[in-house]
Amino acid sequence: MRRHKRWPLRPLASALVRSHFSSSAAETVTVSTATAAATGAFPLKHVTRSNFETTLDDLRSHVKAADFVAIDLEMTGVTSAPWRDSLEFDRYDVRYLKVKDSAEKFAVVQFGVCPFRWDSSTQSFVSHPHNFFIFPRQELTFDPPAHEFLCQTTSMDFLAKYQFDFNACIHEGISYLSRRQEEEASKRLETLYDEEGVDSVVETEDLKLVRLADLLFSERMKKKLNAWRSELLHGGNASSVESPGISNGSTQSAETVFYHMRPALSLKGFTSHQLKVIKLVLDKHFGDLVYIHTSDKSSCSQDFVVYTDSESDKENLMKEAKDERKRVAETKIQSAIGFRQVIDLLSSEKKLIVGHNCFLDIAHVYSKFVGPLPSTPEKFVASINNHFPFIVDTKILLNVNPMLHQRMKKSSTSLSSAFSSLCPQFESSSRRSDSILQQRVEIDVEVDNVRCSNWNAGAKHEAGYDAFMTGCIFAQACSHLGFDFKHHSQSENFAQNEKLDKYINRLYLSWARGDIIDLGTGHSNAENWRVSKFKYENIVLIWNFPQKLKAREIKECLCKAFGSTSVTSVYHLDNTAVFVLFKNSELVSNFLKLKQQLESDDGPVTIIHPLSKILEGGTTGAADYEAYKEICSSNISKILFSDQAETVGVRSRTRPDPIGPTSPETERIEKMVAVTNSASDLIDAFLANRVEVEAARTS
Amino acid sequence: MQRRFLSSVSASAGNSKALTHGRWSVKQVKKSNFKSALDEIRTSIDSSDFVALSLQNTGSYAAAWHRVSAIDTSHTSYFKAKYAAERYQILQFALCPFSLSGPKLTVHPYNFYLFPRDELKLGMPSYSFSCQASRLTAMAREGFDFNTCIYEGISYLSREQESASKFLSGNPILAEPIAAPSSPSTVADAVFVGRIRSRVKNWRQSCLDSRSKTGDDDLVSSLRKLVLGSEQYGSRLCLTIDVCSERQAQLILEMLTEFADDVVPLLMASKGRGTQAIRAVFMSSKEDMDLFKRELQDLENEDNMRVRGFREVIDLISSSQKPVVSQNYLSDFTSIHAKFLGPLPSNVDDFSSSLSSAFPNVVDLSQLMKEISPLSNISNLPAAMSSLNRFFAPVDVEVANQGSLLKLDEGHEKHGQNVVMTSQLFAKLSTIQRSHQSSVQSNEDLQALASDENVKVWSKNSRKVSSENLVFIWGLAKKVTASMLKSVLQKSHDVFATQKFDVKYLDRSCAVVVFWEKGSSETFLSAVNDEEKLVGSLREMVAEGLRVAGYESYKRACRLGFWEADLADSLDRTLESLDADSDADTRPSDISWTSELAINFDEL
Repeated sequence: MRRHKRWPLRPLASALVRSHFSSSAAETVTVSTATAAATGAFPLKHVTRSNFETTLDDLRSHVKAADFVAIDLEMTGVTSAPWRDSLEFDRYDVRYLKVKDSAEKFAVVQFGVCPFRWDSSTQSFVSHPHNFFIFPRQELTFDPPAHEFLCQTTSMDFLAKYQFDFNACIHEGISYLSRRQEEEASKRLETLYDEEGVDSVVETEDLKLVRLADLLFSERMKKKLNAWRSELLHGGNASSVESPGISNGSTQSAETVFYHMRPALSLKGFTSHQLKVIKLVLDKHFGDLVYIHTSDKSSCSQDFVVYTDSESDKENLMKEAKDERKRVAETKIQSAIGFRQVIDLLSSEKKLIVGHNCFLDIAHVYSKFVGPLPSTPEKFVASINNHFPFIVDTKILLNVNPMLHQRMKKSSTSLSSAFSSLCPQFESSSRRSDSILQQRVEIDVEVDNVRCSNWNAGAKHEAGYDAFMTGCIFAQACSHLGFDFKHHSQSENFAQNEKLDKYINRLYLSWARGDIIDLGTGHSNAENWRVSKFKYENIVLIWNFPQKLKAREIKECLCKAFGSTSVTSVYHLDNTAVFVLFKNSELVSNFLKLKQQLESDDGPVTIIHPLSKILEGGTTGAADYEAYKEICSSNISKILFSDQAETVGVRSRTRPDPIGPTSPETERIEKMVAVTNSASDLIDAFLANRVEVEAARTS
Repeated sequence: MQRRFLSSVSASAGNSKALTHGRWSVKQVKKSNFKSALDEIRTSIDSSDFVALSLQNTGSYAAAWHRVSAIDTSHTSYFKAKYAAERYQILQFALCPFSLSGPKLTVHPYNFYLFPRDELKLGMPSYSFSCQASRLTAMAREGFDFNTCIYEGISYLSREQESASKFLSGNPILAEPIAAPSSPSTVADAVFVGRIRSRVKNWRQSCLDSRSKTGDDDLVSSLRKLVLGSEQYGSRLCLTIDVCSERQAQLILEMLTEFADDVVPLLMASKGRGTQAIRAVFMSSKEDMDLFKRELQDLENEDNMRVRGFREVIDLISSSQKPVVSQNYLSDFTSIHAKFLGPLPSNVDDFSSSLSSAFPNVVDLSQLMKEISPLSNISNLPAAMSSLNRFFAPVDVEVANQGSLLKLDEGHEKHGQNVVMTSQLFAKLSTIQRSHQSSVQSNEDLQALASDENVKVWSKNSRKVSSENLVFIWGLAKKVTASMLKSVLQKSHDVFATQKFDVKYLDRSCAVVVFWEKGSSETFLSAVNDEEKLVGSLREMVAEGLRVAGYESYKRACRLGFWEADLADSLDRTLESLDADSDADTRPSDISWTSELAINFDEL
């Protein structure tokens, strides 16, 4: 059913393709909204590059007036290798590295933005759901950095399952530049124009007229230009003089125009080589004629031969032309910023951003629109605050607040099920007959100045609708938390409200493990958030062991070598690698030392030693937890962990003095990242789709 | 439907556009019509002499220097092609079996949409792939339909993936006949086998009983099943024996040979965990057993069809042994090898031998083109075609694989035009070839010609130089043009003053100096690395950050896969890694590498 309710951009987009994108922005807007109303689909504002500029103006006022803005992103993938998924033994900094890797490698293809505003006149929220198609199209032509992104096959298939329109995204998606990219582009532009003078001299030097065709062409051009020039100088009114004979019948044409108040010939239909020859002819034979190349905003280039009446006039003209080119390039950069204008708007308005399990989303926003992600979670926390001071995660809200958790009736806190259990009034047909109506928050949808409070459900996993659902959940949750929208003035600030204080700027770093990162620097509520105490220094990583070995067998081998209680547990990372949790860190270095010994020794001991089973084949690698972090920080992503470890070049090794858990540095860090241990979390962790890890626990 | 391709078609821009858009009707194949198209393709290939192909990938190279250029030997070219083939995905595979008789070219063009959908939920054929934004934008401009491709593209598994998937898919596998008894058994083994044997015996007896007396009521028969643990496999009775190891599985299989007359063992595997159980299936008669084995075979074939997907087509081409014509041999066949055969070997020699076992006859059009018209650029098909106009070689194209006339308005039919042009170009070239050397008649001769590895470039500006004569230079304090750099270098050291050399930028970070005389590169390299010899402006430049390296380092960077965006960074990393492990790897393959390069300086 949802299929038919889908918005009509798809046929539209293919129509656009066929007509070579000639269709105007205005048409797109009217068609899309008109059809949406006709088919009864969820009213959603779809934005592509054709209607981006006009929409942005409206969005600006909506965001300014909004109480909070919900966002949601659709990406081309989540993990670049299976072992990059969130695993049992991922310390918070390793987890951050995995999120960083994901945000750096995958592209965002859809961005949902939905501002919500409390309307006291109707006693309801007004929402403006926007669905932006974005694509990292390279808009800048000068020395472009090759932009590449990764697609995870399963994610693409997932998007296809929910009828994602790839054509709309790639053909019509809005491009963007991050702040850093913009700075770099401007810098490149500057050097480009500084060098220009030098370059052009060399270019003409390099070109020599050797081919007969070139010689004939240059002779002919010389004659024509001479004729035009003398006509100009001696024939009175220059502008009325048509260039003689250049444009008879051929595709090439030259007509007299004005360029910066000077008489000029506009050259059309010449090849770039011919233009070079013309330039050469000018430099050689005509001191007062100047060749000018311009390109306007739509990257349509134009070539002129301009007459100058003096040497100083010539210099002026060259300077003017150069400035103009620079200005055009600057506007190009401005327009290439594209979708980032929306992000800049959210950032500058300092609105409360609402997302659902949104740490990855925020990381994407940072890496796509601000700059490269910092190397550590601490630096990230320090930096994100400058751009988005208030973020709230509805997943945290629903799991951590006992009252809301209870209200969820133990159902999953995935976005769609949270929406249906918290906001059933929007999905059931008997909206008005709800017995606990007074607790329900009314939410209207307004798109293109058409407001309605009665609408059909939209398509799941469409960023615009997901953002809307997230906002609805937040509004409803706030009402349950005791927010009284009705009796407060409009100026009530959600972000400053003490009822939300516990939840603001806290995001799930890893949902599966329940790790929470606090983005608000300075305040960590130690009484509510417990610090995770995994003994990471007790962990050894083993990879490339004989394929047939299972976790249980590895554990048996190790127990034979180090004593039956030496190993707490063994977990598979993937088929080629395991984590071994030893009882203490001494065993870690003992193991690594012993491994080294056995490998360098060829004696009979090596064969009968219990570890030989693991070391069989001679390629088995092992390292401590810090090496795992190093492996995760690499920008390479091999599918198998063993390949990754080999490629990154972490060979077996022991660390002379492993970083102790008591070093002040780690202590400080661990305070920032906390783990909740409330019962509700345990239930939820159980309900959530956990990463399957084969475990062999001691018991 | 015939269209005469006149050799007088001019090279102007207008015409080339007409050539690329919807000239011929190409059959478009996606998931829905793949099965039905497969038989048609089989006949097309059988009835043709050659097969042309053309691929559309999600990218070609990520940075300027990753592109194969004139300074690459066959080894470094291979590393570059390998890197690209492993990262990017084939979205469109155009295939054109064709035959040529006189001026008449009969083509059967097909265009397949591919998408590496994980049909078996095993993380295959590919976990992820890279896309170049600019490549996708360009494809969009040509009207490529990404929705069709991703929603309806045909999936596939490579040969290696298929054999791996057999044990992963969880389908029952007919046990291979036991050749020799396994290693001597222990007491524990004997006890285990004995226990299972008696269980099988009982079960078999009950099967025999139930066959003789059919009068049991339902309750009794279901009770019996419950007691004996007997189950049904399809309509047949079976017994499932769980095993904990491959060793146990082996023992049971050996034991079951005692009952080979009426019991067929099946291996039940689970995802990535090896054999989980053995299922003994009871056969009522000899005929029943044959039938059962045939059923299993059919099931496997159907499953294979589903698993292999598009690779069926590759296998068809491969088994037909027809010569395959490709516009860009290296990039096309590294992609084909990586996606449909198996992981790419680590060096070019292994690649060639691995590839030739699947495709013994491959015609590289760009080589063929260079033989005849050395200056033309093969990457632009219409231009290449028009550059051959000075030869009289008329070619009639007949599209043979369409029932209905083309409906160009549909917009879809036009994809895959390139492959028809490729076959057309081949036809033209071979006609010209034939008129030049009347002795060349058979395909084998054409083969010999195409596989010739020596690149002869007939350009004024090109010369053969040894790769040893190249020096890479980077870390310049400020950006200068190549000619400025040349004049700076000229003043910096004697070797530049006395020897002829040229300078070109390979990307924005790194330039290459080509010495036209042997030995000069060593002089220069040692001068930079020697504290005492380093004087004057060269010393000044080194102090400002200038670094140099010989061709060895470049080769090493390619081999070790240091594909940084800037060549300078890659070379820096290579030098670092050299410092790190001092045992500079002198692999035998390194020494045998051909060092002769034919550099066309215009192409650099």
